[in-house]
Amino acid sequence: MRIVVENLTHVYNPKSPFATTALSGVSLSIEEGDFFGIIGHTGSGKSTFVQHLNGLIRLPSSLKRKKKKGDNTILKVGEFDLTRKKTDFRALRRKVGMVFQYPENQLFAETVFEDVAFAYRNFSEKKPTDQELEEAVREAITVVGLPYESVKNASPFDLSGGQRRRVAIAGVIVAKPEILVLDEPAAGLDPHGKKEIMDLLHTLHSSWCKTVVIVSHDMDEVAENCTRVAVFAEGKVLCVLPPKELFRRSEELLRHGLDLPLTAKVCNLLKEQGVELDCDYTLDGFVKAALARGKDT
Amino acid sequence: MKDVSFGQYYPVKSFVHSLDPRVKILFLIVFITVIFVAKEFLALGICAAVLLIATLFSRIPLTKFLRAVRGILFLVLFTATLNLIFYPGETVYWSWKFLQITKEGILFSAFLVIRLVLLVLCSSLLTYTTTPVALTDGIESILTPLTWIRFPVHALTLVMSIALRFIPKLSEDAGTIMNAQRARGAKLDEGGPVSRIKAFVPVLIALLISSFRLAEELGDAMEARCYGCSKKRTKYKKLKIGWRDILAFLVIAGLIASAVLLRVFPQFPF
Repeated sequence: MRIVVENLTHVYNPKSPFATTALSGVSLSIEEGDFFGIIGHTGSGKSTFVQHLNGLIRLPSSLKRKKKKGDNTILKVGEFDLTRKKTDFRALRRKVGMVFQYPENQLFAETVFEDVAFAYRNFSEKKPTDQELEEAVREAITVVGLPYESVKNASPFDLSGGQRRRVAIAGVIVAKPEILVLDEPAAGLDPHGKKEIMDLLHTLHSSWCKTVVIVSHDMDEVAENCTRVAVFAEGKVLCVLPPKELFRRSEELLRHGLDLPLTAKVCNLLKEQGVELDCDYTLDGFVKAALARGKDT
Repeated sequence: MKDVSFGQYYPVKSFVHSLDPRVKILFLIVFITVIFVAKEFLALGICAAVLLIATLFSRIPLTKFLRAVRGILFLVLFTATLNLIFYPGETVYWSWKFLQITKEGILFSAFLVIRLVLLVLCSSLLTYTTTPVALTDGIESILTPLTWIRFPVHALTLVMSIALRFIPKLSEDAGTIMNAQRARGAKLDEGGPVSRIKAFVPVLIALLISSFRLAEELGDAMEARCYGCSKKRTKYKKLKIGWRDILAFLVIAGLIASAVLLRVFPQFPF
């Protein structure tokens, strides 16, 4: 499913002294198969944007019967047109899974099994049989890398932080969404936990969910994993580029208060010393470029 | 703070905003007492006029107040209707079996409606124009005499201010958790009342757990900064009575006086 957004604007608390414009005229498209990154400063509208993708924030036009004249907003996810009132938002949410920041806060059930089963039950057309349910839950818990037999009857609150996050992710992917959106999936984890979560996302990307969208502050994470990256600043999209081209524009990123991945920083330092490397800013790519360069000289 | 719930502080500069919170709290108490003691429309009329003037001086858009009234609209209509059809009276306009509409009933319901609306309006005026911190400071100062009988006034007001402080935080958390469960297909806004309440269980449990964690963190943070180590706490902002407060106080005194006068001389011709 392809995501097409044009001219998307969102204002919180319109017509009051608390009014804040979170998005103003955002346009971008996310292709099927993308591992899409969204970066930007705090308050640049990233989270607001992704909440539009599964209809958690509804467009005003989808709440009223009549469309306002001159409203040229387009928001399409696959065949779902989110500007219209008739859209089946639950069917949409089944296709677009959303993992919030600190998703472990959404855990509520007595056992891990029940918590993961929650979304599967909600999204099933008719009541699933015990066997179907168990199969789906087992698969989801296994794919996030937890031992099913030993955790299924545990309380989610007895698990460690990293494990809780995995359970929370399992609780979203159990419905097998085609698009998986994650808001800062690795926030607050130690470096090892971060790596594990990113590896998990790659596993999911190649097997379960065709498209993965992550919101991130961690440039290394973005450089290493994403196929394309959108840069948000003050509610607008500055550019959408593959990391290879994006991090070449280091000055522009720094000017918007954004960081650079380690590889780009090293490339810049080398450049100051007169050594120019042509790399894609992943660690592997950097090492390859450096080795090739070493052989040349 | 993304969503603003009703009754929250409305940040503009005005005469009413700058008043000492104690004066405003006193005003509210007197005002509510007068509303409940009053038996004549004239008394309520005076109250309404005073409130209207105070509201105009607060520079808060009137629509904000309308919204506050809308919150209790159902309650008002419900009680008014019940009183209208059940109130006993002599001048009967319409009756059917045990139901009747009388002149007295109409007057009584109208009185009730005005009373309830004034009640909501004056309390919203207080919360719109006073920050939660100023409000609890004011309450603490008013309750100070109770410390003579060793009542823990400070602890009480601290609990109050923490509760007030956490309302926006909790409502934000509730919003996030609701969205997270909605994203997992929870049917929060569909179906009948029973299924809606059931659908809220996943939200409530998650919210309860996160608020416990919040409370624990706050307790740790306070202890880490030696909260409760010194006997007497000093204040960052001291409350001071200015000319505005004296002026407002005189208005309150006038209000009480006129209410008492009306009670003592019900036939007092104006």
